[in-house]
Amino acid sequence: MKAILTIALKDLKILARDKAGFFWVLLFPVLMAVFFGAISSGGSGNRAAMPIAVVDQDGSPYARAFLSELQKSEALRVREAGLDSARLLVRRGELVAYVALWPGAGQSFGFGGDSAKIELGLDPSRRAEAGYLRGLVTAATFSTMRGQFTSGGSGREMIRQSLASLQSDLTRSLEERRRAAGVLNNLERFMVSLDSTEGASDTTGAATAGGAGGPKIKVIDIAEEENGPRNAYEITFPSSVMWALIGVCMNFAISIVHERIRGTFLRLRLAPISRSQVLAGKGLAAFLAALGATSLLLLLAAVVFNVRITNPPALVVALVAAAFCFTGLMMLISVFGRTHSAVAGAGWAVLLVMSMTGGGMIPLIAMPAWMQSVSNFSLVKWGVLAVEGAIWRGFSPQEMALPVGILLAAGAVGFAVGARALSRSEG
Amino acid sequence: MPAIEVRNLKKSYGTTVAVDGISFEVERGECFGLLGPNGAGKSTTIHCVVGALRPDSGEVLLDGEADPTRPSVRAKIGVAPQPIALYEDLTAEENLEFFGKLYNLGGDVLKTRIEMALEFSGLAARRKDRISTYSGGMQRRLNLVSGILHDPPVILLDEPTVGVDPQSRNLIFDNIESLKRLGRTIVYTTHYMEEAQRLCDRVAIIDQGKILALDTVEGLLRAHGGPPTVQVEFARKPAGLEDLGGEWEENRLRVRTERPMEVLGRIAGMGDAFQQVSIERADLEAVFLHLTGKKLRD
Repeated sequence: MKAILTIALKDLKILARDKAGFFWVLLFPVLMAVFFGAISSGGSGNRAAMPIAVVDQDGSPYARAFLSELQKSEALRVREAGLDSARLLVRRGELVAYVALWPGAGQSFGFGGDSAKIELGLDPSRRAEAGYLRGLVTAATFSTMRGQFTSGGSGREMIRQSLASLQSDLTRSLEERRRAAGVLNNLERFMVSLDSTEGASDTTGAATAGGAGGPKIKVIDIAEEENGPRNAYEITFPSSVMWALIGVCMNFAISIVHERIRGTFLRLRLAPISRSQVLAGKGLAAFLAALGATSLLLLLAAVVFNVRITNPPALVVALVAAAFCFTGLMMLISVFGRTHSAVAGAGWAVLLVMSMTGGGMIPLIAMPAWMQSVSNFSLVKWGVLAVEGAIWRGFSPQEMALPVGILLAAGAVGFAVGARALSRSEG
Repeated sequence: MPAIEVRNLKKSYGTTVAVDGISFEVERGECFGLLGPNGAGKSTTIHCVVGALRPDSGEVLLDGEADPTRPSVRAKIGVAPQPIALYEDLTAEENLEFFGKLYNLGGDVLKTRIEMALEFSGLAARRKDRISTYSGGMQRRLNLVSGILHDPPVILLDEPTVGVDPQSRNLIFDNIESLKRLGRTIVYTTHYMEEAQRLCDRVAIIDQGKILALDTVEGLLRAHGGPPTVQVEFARKPAGLEDLGGEWEENRLRVRTERPMEVLGRIAGMGDAFQQVSIERADLEAVFLHLTGKKLRD
């Protein structure tokens, strides 16, 4: 253990004296986080179709019609899901939102009600899209109502028949008949007002929908309910953590090549220590550097950029897993070639692709569907998810298990394969 | 028991045979040279001896032990690799401290050894400077002492003077001669014949992975160096020396002979004026030329 620590401390001392390495490991990730955080705070540009899930627990024709309206929208990519699944997908960032229709939602399309029968669960990382999405859902609500009450006149006919039946019903008291007739007359007036506002309903808000007699929409910030992000920096700093890990990974991978070329690696191997101690020393240095850099970043995020760390123990687990993963990746990348340029070129190519597809540059949710599928192969994605899960997504231990498990497994495989290849290539 | 025994060592890289059945022994306290051109297989041999490379076949015994990768064996070996194997962002002192700790040195022992190493290499005044600021010669000297900080009985020096200035080279020679006086066993690889001639008790001439000859320097010269050469430069080419043989080049005569003094006597007896006379002994360059048909630096 003493030899491992000696090697690790030597590597950390060299890293601390390497200005370029310091920039890539710490300053660059901070710049990335601040830059993209500032941009994200300022609004959004053109969007891809937003992926959402619909949960139909009503099953009525009205509910089906509502779903059909949503599916017509080019701005949405709609899929059906169960409630738990939908919430999980939103929490994981795979969907922007879900729309749940509770039992009885169909009836509320005509007469509204005191309780909300439609629930809109939003991903808080997409605040810019939230208003737009609520508008789309409200528009679909109106279209459904209009379809039910105006198309073919079935709704008005229903009301007229009800009024006639009410007036001839002598079993009810006069007062009861007067109150019921008032409700039906109000409803008929509402339908007239729908006709007059046709074509202008797209911009109507959720409150308008409920107040005009349509179904009430309950909006839930699905992650905020469990300590969601308060600002864009809570989204960008987890990505910057990945950049710090990438910086550490490349720095140490190249340092191994440098040691092999200069002959210091040979000198290490000729010392009276085992080869596994040499490799463990290199790995420990990278691991500690990764842990230190990411901790510093998040400390900066918390102190300067008001990033909340809601679950510190989970964050420690996430950072340890991510640091371990990129340490293993470092060992693997170090054997991509025998020269600086070979390892640097191949390493950056792999890690940049991982970062681009894994949410290191662009949030996962903004990517097209095929790229989101590809992102599952990116360790950056699982790293971001683990860190976000601990910072603001409010992941349960079970939910943390998947990204953390993937990171640990990938790290172990990378280290084992890299160490073996390094040993073999050194004769 | 010899300090080092190498038996029928073979090592190939793909289809390239680097070491092709080499065998030799190095006695304790001996300075043993491996002399050959670049690519002859000297470094590969050294790497196999210290266990940095696994030979394809053959056997290496260090102090009678067959596995040079064992920590107990490695602790007895000091290596100065051909590349300058130091951390350029660390100071001389930090480099020595790091390598010393790898050899389980610590506390006052480590401090004393570092002091000795810095004095030995003449770098005490620059101990706090990062070695990236050192000259090539200074780095070479530190490279050497970094390998012997733990005071090993067996020292392997792989081309320790490559690319250094004459002053540093002389300092390194002094260092090695000091180590010889201390009774250390030294294996010294070089492609400079004058280094092998000056430092080594025995020399193995190596080329294309094979040892072509192995003996003391005198023995090699006797066996493969050929007779001395008498070289005389006249004011004008004299007559009557045709029976001496040799080669004429304008007014210069070169005669290779086992009896150089007789030749000189003949020339002096002729009374003709000569401007310069010299007798050149054969050297290891001539030995190598004789054995391979090419020069060491070809």
